[in-house]
Amino acid sequence: MAFPPGIPDRLRIFRVRQLTKVYGEGLAQVHALAGVDLDLYAGELVVLLGPSGSGKTTLLNNLGGLDVPTAGELSYRHLDLTRADEAALTQYRRERVGFVFQFYNLIPSLTARENVGLITEIARDPMPPELALEMVHLSPRLDHFPAQLSGGEQQRVAIARAIAKRPEVLLCDEPTGALDVRTGIVVLEAIERVNRELGTLTVIITHNAVMAEMADRVIHFSDGRVHDIHENARRAPAQSLNW
Amino acid sequence: MISQLDRKLFRDLRRMKGQALAVALVMGCGLSMMIMSRSLIRSLESTRHEYYEAYRFAEVFVHLKRAPNRLVDRIAAIPGVAAVQAGISVQVTLDLPELDEPASGLVRSLPDHQPPALNRLFLRAGRWLRPGGTGEILVGEAFADANQLHPGDSLTLLLNGRRQTMRIAGIVLSPEFIFESRPGTALPDNRTYGIFWMPYRALASAYDLYGAFNQLALTLAPGASERPVIGALDELLKPYGGRGAHGRTDHPSHIRVSDEIRVLHTLAIGFPVVFLSVAAFMTNAVLSRLLTLQREQIAILKAFGFTDRQIVLHYLKFALVMVVAGALLGVLGGILLGVRIVTLYQLFFRFPELAFSLDRGAMLLALAVSALAAILGVFSSVRRAARLPPAEAMRPEPPARYRPALIERTGMARVLSHTFRIAVRNLERKPVQACFTIAGLALATGILIVPNCFRDGIQNVLDFQWDVVQRQDIGIGLVEPSSDQIKHLFAQLPGVIAVEPVRSAAVRLRFGARHRQLAIQGLPAHGQHSRVIDANYRQITLPSEGLVISSKLADVLGARVGDLVILEVLEGRRVTRTAPLVGLAEDFAGIAAYMDLHALNRLLGEGDIITGASFSIDALAWRDFLRELKGIPRVSWVAVKESLRANFRETTAASINVIQTIYLIFAVIVAFGVVYNNARISLAERARELATLRVIGFSRREVGAVLVTELVILALIAVPIGLLIGTGFATAILREVNTETVRLPLVLLPGNYAFAVLAVTIASVVSALAVLRKLNQLDLVGALKAPE
Ligand SMILES: Nc1ncnc2c1ncn2[C@@H]1O[C@H](COP(=O)(O)OP(=O)(O)O)[C@@H](O)[C@H]1O
Ligand SMILES: [Mg+2]
Repeated sequence: MAFPPGIPDRLRIFRVRQLTKVYGEGLAQVHALAGVDLDLYAGELVVLLGPSGSGKTTLLNNLGGLDVPTAGELSYRHLDLTRADEAALTQYRRERVGFVFQFYNLIPSLTARENVGLITEIARDPMPPELALEMVHLSPRLDHFPAQLSGGEQQRVAIARAIAKRPEVLLCDEPTGALDVRTGIVVLEAIERVNRELGTLTVIITHNAVMAEMADRVIHFSDGRVHDIHENARRAPAQSLNW
Repeated sequence: MISQLDRKLFRDLRRMKGQALAVALVMGCGLSMMIMSRSLIRSLESTRHEYYEAYRFAEVFVHLKRAPNRLVDRIAAIPGVAAVQAGISVQVTLDLPELDEPASGLVRSLPDHQPPALNRLFLRAGRWLRPGGTGEILVGEAFADANQLHPGDSLTLLLNGRRQTMRIAGIVLSPEFIFESRPGTALPDNRTYGIFWMPYRALASAYDLYGAFNQLALTLAPGASERPVIGALDELLKPYGGRGAHGRTDHPSHIRVSDEIRVLHTLAIGFPVVFLSVAAFMTNAVLSRLLTLQREQIAILKAFGFTDRQIVLHYLKFALVMVVAGALLGVLGGILLGVRIVTLYQLFFRFPELAFSLDRGAMLLALAVSALAAILGVFSSVRRAARLPPAEAMRPEPPARYRPALIERTGMARVLSHTFRIAVRNLERKPVQACFTIAGLALATGILIVPNCFRDGIQNVLDFQWDVVQRQDIGIGLVEPSSDQIKHLFAQLPGVIAVEPVRSAAVRLRFGARHRQLAIQGLPAHGQHSRVIDANYRQITLPSEGLVISSKLADVLGARVGDLVILEVLEGRRVTRTAPLVGLAEDFAGIAAYMDLHALNRLLGEGDIITGASFSIDALAWRDFLRELKGIPRVSWVAVKESLRANFRETTAASINVIQTIYLIFAVIVAFGVVYNNARISLAERARELATLRVIGFSRREVGAVLVTELVILALIAVPIGLLIGTGFATAILREVNTETVRLPLVLLPGNYAFAVLAVTIASVVSALAVLRKLNQLDLVGALKAPE
C-alpha cells in the first residue's frame, strides 16, 4: 500500500543527513558516500539507481546496520545507527531488517524451510516458515536444499527468509543481478507482493533503469550522493516490466 | 611470470600463517624426535665402536676359581682366538670415612710392565701406575665422581681381610665398564660400588694368586665364531673352576648400552611416524581449503596458459615451505634435545668422550619423509584442482549438496536446533575430511597417553616395587659361600628386625637353542624381603621344586610355565639339572631366576650354604648397624636399597623423565596444532555462511555456536578413540622398550586418561576462543559480495 506522494504526515523510518563513508587512508582514500541526504518512509517501495561504484551498496549496508558511517547522521526511527554498538546493531538487524543479496547467501546445509526457520527461531514475532515461503510461491519446494533449487527459487527463499521476521525494512541489493529476465521478474513480483501485503519499506538497488517503473520513488545515485529523486505517479506492476 | 606466482605464494602463506605454523610445528616435533633419536643412536654406536676398537674390548669373557698362567698359552692356541688377556679380579670392601654404609668394589689386575693386550684403560686424570710400584691404585671414573675422589687422595681397601690404604694414581675408564654396576644387579650405585685397578703383583700377593689368574678375556680371530671357542674354553677351564665363558651378549655393560640403543631405535621410528602422519593430515586439510578458495584463481591462471604442472608445482611449493619450516624446527629441536640427553647419558655411560653427533643422513631422511608426508597431503587435491577445465573453474563452486543427516533420519530431527543441524550436516557431507580431523585429534589424544604412562611406570618402580616388593633395607654379599649358621651372627647386629638368607650361584639357563648366564637366587619360600611377585602383584611362594624366572627372561628364552629348563651350574660341583619352570616374576631390572633356598642347595649338593643375606633394620639403629657391618671382613658387598633407589631416580628415572617431558610437550603441541588447525579451517570454509548468519541477525555467540558445535562433535568422537589408541601405543612402546636391563611396568592410571582428555579439552577451548576472536573480525560486507 503505497502512500501517495505529498502527504505531509507519512511516517519517516530513516533520516539520513550529510552521510559520509570513507574507505582507506591517504591517497587510497575512497569517498564511497560523500554527503547523502535522504528520508525513507514507511511502506514505500524505493528503487535506488546508479552506476557501478556510485555507493549504492555502501548506503544500503549503512541503512541495514552492517557497516557504520564515517560522519553524518543516520537514524532509524529513534535509534541513532551511528552510535549503536555491536549488540544494538545485531538486535536491530535481527528484528527490523530483512536482507536480500545478489548471491542469495543461503545456508547450503539447510533446506528452504529450515533456512527460513533459522530466522523464525530467533525473531520476536515471526510468521511460520511455510507462510513466508507461500508468499513467494515456494510451497512445493519446502524441503529442498539450495543445491536442488534454481537461482530464482533460491532468491525467493532468500526473500522468504528476509520477510519471515515481519521486518519493517526490506533491503535488496541487486536481487535480480544474477538472474535472467523471466526469473528476475518472478523475484520482483515476490518483493512487490511483500511490500504491498505487509507494508514493508522496501529498497531495491539496481542499475537497471527499467525497474524504476515499479517504484513509488526512484533515487538516482552518483558519486556517493543523491543526484535526483523522482516520484512515480503510478507504480507499474512488476509483471509488466521488460528488459 | 613465476616471480609473480611466488609473490602470490608468499601472500597466501601470510594469510594462512596460523595454519602453516601449526603444520610446521607438528612436523617439527616429529622430526625433532627422529633426528634426536637417530643422532643419539649414531653417537652411542659410533662412540662405542671407536672406543671398543681403540681400547681393544674383548669378545669372550670368563671367570674361574684359579688357573696357572701357563694355561694362557693353551687358551691362545684354541682355533679362532686372536688375543688373550688373563688377570685377577676380586671383590673387595672399602672403608670410606665419609660414607656410613660399607662400600664395595671390584679390583682388577693390570700387567706389571706393559699395557694389557685387551680391555685397555683410558686415563681421565692423574697418571698410570708406576711399573713395579706398590700402594697405588687406579679408580674408575663413576665411583670417583660419586665420591669426589681425585688423584693423590687415599683410599682404604680390605684386601683379603687386610686393610690397605692406597694412593689414587689416576682416574680411568674401561670399555668393560661403560656402565658400572655390581654383577648381578642391573641398577648402578656408583656411590657404594666402584671398579679399581692394581698392579698384578700387588693384587696377586694379597690373594695368594701369584702365577695364576682367575679372570680372562679374549678376542676372536676375524671370521671365527664365538660358540666353538666358548665350548673349548669352558672345557679347558673346567678343572680350574671355570664359571662359564660368555660373549658380549651376556656382558652387563655391553648389553646395557645395546639396550639403550634398541630403545632409541623404537623411539626413532614410532613417534615420528605418528607425528608425521598427523602432519600429513593437517597439510591435506590446509591445502584442500586453499584450493577451494582459489578455484577461480586457478581457472584464470589456466586461462592465461599456465600448465597443470606449473599449477601443481605452485601449490606443492606452498606445502614445501611448511616442510622446510618444519624441518628447520626439527633439526634445531633435534640438536638441542640431543645435546641435552647426551649430557644425561654421561651420567651413566662412561665414555672417554661422548659427544652429540648429528646424523646428517637422518636429517636428509627426515626432510624426505616430511616432504613425502606433505606431498601425499597435497597431491590428490591439487591434481583435482589442476584438472578442472578453466571455464568450469571460473564459475563459483555450485552450492554443495546436502541431505538430512543420519541422526535426523532417525526421527530426532525435532529436538535438533538449526545450528546443530548445520554442524551435523556439514560433518556428514564431508565424511573424509571429518575422518581426517578425527584421526588427527585421536592421534593427538593418543600420544598424550604414552609419556605419562612412562612417568607412572617410573613412579610405580620407585614406590611400589621398591617398598612393597623389596622390603629389605639392605642386602649383603659374602666373600665366600658360608654355612647358614652365619645368619645367627647377623641377627645379633644392632637394630636388626629381620634377616633372611640368600644363596646365589652362577648358572647358565638353557631352553632349546637359547641361553642366558646369570646368578640364580635361592630365597626362603615365604620370604618377606626380596619378594617374588607375579603379574598381579601377588607374591609367588617358591615351591620346593622348580624355578621362577623373570617373565622377560622367559621371553628371551622362549620358555613358558611348565617347560623344563636346563640349569648348568657354573661353580662348585658344576652339576647340570633340569628344572620345571613354575612361575614368572614381574621385575623391572635385569633378568633373574629364583628358587627356594633349600631346593637350590639340594640341587647344588653343597649343604646348607648361603652367599648373602638381606636385612630389615630399625631406623634408629641404622648407623650402629652400618658401623658394625663395616667391621665384618666376610662381607664383600653391600647394597643399600635407598642408595639404589636414589641412584635409579637420578639416572634411569631422570633420563626417562626428560624424554617423557619432551614427548609430553610435543604431544601437547600436536594436540593444539590439530585442534587449532581444524577450527581455523572450518572458519575459513564457512566464512560466507557465517557472515550471512551474522547479517540476518545472529549474534556472535549464536554464530560461534555453529562452529563450536562442530568442534565438540568431532572431539566427542575422537577423544574416546584416542584414549584407545593411546593405550595401544603405550602397550606397544613399553613392550618394545622393555629390555633385559631395565623395564617399566605398564601402568595406566585414570589420571593419565584424565590428563589427555583435559589437555585436548583445553587445546580445544583455547583454539575455539582464538577462532571465535577471528569470527569477530569477520568481514560481514565483504563476505556478501560475489564469492571470491
Ligand atoms: N570495503 C571497501 N574498502 C574500500 N573501498 C570500498 C569498500 N567497499 C566499497 N568501496 C568503494 O566504495 C565505492 C562505492 O562502492 P559500492 O557502494 O559497492 O558501489 P555500488 O554498490 O554502487 O557499485 C567504490 O569505489 C568501491 O570501490
Ligand atoms: Mg553494489
